[in-house]
Amino acid sequence: MTTLTQQKEVAPKKSIIEKLNVFTALALGVISAIVVWRISLALLPQDSESARLFSREDKITLLSMCAWFVGFMTGIGALVGPFRWLMGKDLSHSENMFLAGENMGPKRYFRYTTDHKVVGIQYLFITILIFFLGGGLAMLIRTNLGTPEGGWLHAQAYNSVVGTHGILMIVGTIIMVTGPFGNFIMPIMIGARDMAFPRLNALSFWLIVAAAVPLIWGQFIGGITTGWSAYNPLAGQAPLGMDGYIMYICIFAISTMVAGANITTTVVKMRAKGMTWNRTPIFIYGVVASVALALPAFPVFFLSQVLSAFDRALDTSFYNTAGGGSGWLYENLFWIMGHPEVYVILIPAIAALMEMAPVFTRRPLFSFNVAVLGIAGISGLSVLVWAHHMYISGWAPLLNAPFMLTTELISIPTGMLFLVLVGTLWRGRIWMTMPLMSIMALLWNFMIGGVTGIYLSDVPADAFLHGSMYVTAHFHFTLMGAGLTGAIASLVYWFPKMTGRMFDKTLSWIAFWLVQIGFNVAFIGMFLVGLAGQPRRVESYAPTFNTANLVTTIGAYIVMIGMLVLLHGVVSSALNGVKAPKNPWQAKTLEWTVDYPIPLENFDVLPTVTTDAYGYGKAKS
Amino acid sequence: MSNLMSPKSPQWWKKDDVKKTFILWILCTAVIGYVGVEFHVRNLVNPASETMSSIITLMRVFTWAAAPVAGLVSAISITVLTSKRHYGDNPPAEADHEIRNSPKAAAVWIVISGLLCLFALVAGLIVLQQDNEAILDSKAIQVNVTGQQWLWNFDYENGARSEDLYLPVDKPVVFHITSVDVKHSFWVVQMGIKMDANPGYTTETAVTPNKIGVFDVRCAELCGLLHAYMQTKVHVLSQADYDAWLSAHGATEAGA
Repeated sequence: MTTLTQQKEVAPKKSIIEKLNVFTALALGVISAIVVWRISLALLPQDSESARLFSREDKITLLSMCAWFVGFMTGIGALVGPFRWLMGKDLSHSENMFLAGENMGPKRYFRYTTDHKVVGIQYLFITILIFFLGGGLAMLIRTNLGTPEGGWLHAQAYNSVVGTHGILMIVGTIIMVTGPFGNFIMPIMIGARDMAFPRLNALSFWLIVAAAVPLIWGQFIGGITTGWSAYNPLAGQAPLGMDGYIMYICIFAISTMVAGANITTTVVKMRAKGMTWNRTPIFIYGVVASVALALPAFPVFFLSQVLSAFDRALDTSFYNTAGGGSGWLYENLFWIMGHPEVYVILIPAIAALMEMAPVFTRRPLFSFNVAVLGIAGISGLSVLVWAHHMYISGWAPLLNAPFMLTTELISIPTGMLFLVLVGTLWRGRIWMTMPLMSIMALLWNFMIGGVTGIYLSDVPADAFLHGSMYVTAHFHFTLMGAGLTGAIASLVYWFPKMTGRMFDKTLSWIAFWLVQIGFNVAFIGMFLVGLAGQPRRVESYAPTFNTANLVTTIGAYIVMIGMLVLLHGVVSSALNGVKAPKNPWQAKTLEWTVDYPIPLENFDVLPTVTTDAYGYGKAKS
Repeated sequence: MSNLMSPKSPQWWKKDDVKKTFILWILCTAVIGYVGVEFHVRNLVNPASETMSSIITLMRVFTWAAAPVAGLVSAISITVLTSKRHYGDNPPAEADHEIRNSPKAAAVWIVISGLLCLFALVAGLIVLQQDNEAILDSKAIQVNVTGQQWLWNFDYENGARSEDLYLPVDKPVVFHITSVDVKHSFWVVQMGIKMDANPGYTTETAVTPNKIGVFDVRCAELCGLLHAYMQTKVHVLSQADYDAWLSAHGATEAGA
């Protein structure tokens, strides 16, 4: 309603959208939350005797968080466009140009800006922020685990730190490639002027900002003490901070769905003339597979958390066995999202490295078709493997064998991606750069992550390994060792296009080696304690595990130093780096054909594509 | 691996980099297989049941099955990294070939990974079948396991109840596992069995301890504040000691 009244008052020239930015959004969000909080506090009836512990408080918390969400999104201007449509009008041309951030300078980064390049930088910023926070929490965990007796953090705080680290990093890794590079680079790479739905693009970013606040809020009302998976019924008895988790996931799920629809449509409909599917760069396949996989996965995540909220606030029994529900329902919903989700993280990172492989070996990508088949195979199979997280849940022992089959089948398309990478390296001209070495690091880390995945996919071996530190080490090897390595390489590779300056070479090498060495030290130590029988998510452990845990902690500190060097590299290179030429890597994809600063709408004349982007190498003839 | 070469070149196996990669492949496979197996076997707990022994065997087998693939990837990486490298801010000259694919290499690669996958599946299924049959053993003793925040209770057939688990050696035992509050996971570490304890449901798993001694029971599913401390011991006794323990505790139900 505020939008309506304000809209009538302003003069026709100064439109409502020109007044809205992140500060009005924060203000409106906070005010809405406080108003709804006071109203619900006054009006909601007391719980009956039979109600569960926090039912009323849960209602108040969830309502206030919803109010924050609606207030924030209204304040940022997300509702202006839809409201105009409701009135039978649309935004004017000048308003659209304003939204695109034309001639606005740095202010556009704090607004509901639709230009994909602005959204890409915004995503980059928030990804770095998430890794900073999530990494800080990881250091708290590792510090606490440096000694066996625990207690450096209170057990409740420790559990909350573990849960928050988990969910922050999951979100951070989901957006780390498709967010910054999928938004900034992808449209230029396919020769488009912008995304198919620029306003949805802005929406997907600001939803993540809106989601972050309930998560932080949750830290102050009991924390997220359930681990990132938030299993019920544990989540049902968790403190009010759980509501923060629920809201965070619901809003983030909407963001992912919006981004998925937008990116998929853009790639399907807006590729340059002549860019047939077999001339489309492999990175584009990776991005599309990732977001398209998120499209079926995240509605399920959303639903699982809505039901969780119902159980908490409205005393329903979706996950409560005594009331006719089942915790297994939650596990199924969660992992139907959860397993495709790990490939949502992994595929674009590997695809980005496959995109870089020909550039830094000066030869064509080996077996483009196999690469596409591998990505498609992983995407297809990944929706059929979720119950391997539930081998020992007792839910359906008879299904263990079929899920073992589908899980082990994934090793075939995964192997195809290895074939493409080593095939491209073979007889290439090796250009020793940080992205090239990242491909090597990916091969190493993903090999360890993949082989340990074989043990875990095996039901009898999983009966020992499940729920131990071995699992934690395994998925860090895949998501961090492979995924994050690809994302950092992408940052260095596309940095000149995004900032106009080269990433400092020395700093990139120092960061690379510190992160990779620290990472391997940390997580090989973690495999070790897993094999020796240390469960995950414990705040103290038997003294026999101490040495390896200490090694892991030391490794984690090395990673931290490496990441700080990287952060320093980002800031110093963006401010004072060497000015980058148009095409510093002599790559052949379209994003290297535009000058920095890239004009609004990217191209004066849309390019026509006549060949794929891998025409390196000399014919023998 | 040799198939990564262009099928057109007549004597591809005589080229230096192919020979080098082949030797490295053998070396890397041996090193990775040996180190991988040793890393796992040395650090894994000492088995206290046939189930755990077969898990260790499986991991040994899987490691050796994966070693040639990992070895090949490592060998190619080493060959590539030890070939002529270019440093500098400008790209090196283009490679002297433009090989875009090799259907033979892809086919060999996919068939081999398919066979390895099938092998892993069959090996796993054989062991899984043994584990599943154990639950149906009619001669087994039955123990009810109840998880609660944050301890375990064990109920025996004669009415005894304890917080430490007592079992006779070399006798199959079937556990009927449930929880009174949230989800826990019943993990007898050295026996290689684990099964979730779900409120409102009873799940089953079985094992035959084959060593006398004291072993660990830990909760393997985050269950709240004191999850880390939800652990107890399993005492595997000789049949005579077990019978004595059981009759001493059967009547009182006082716990151990």
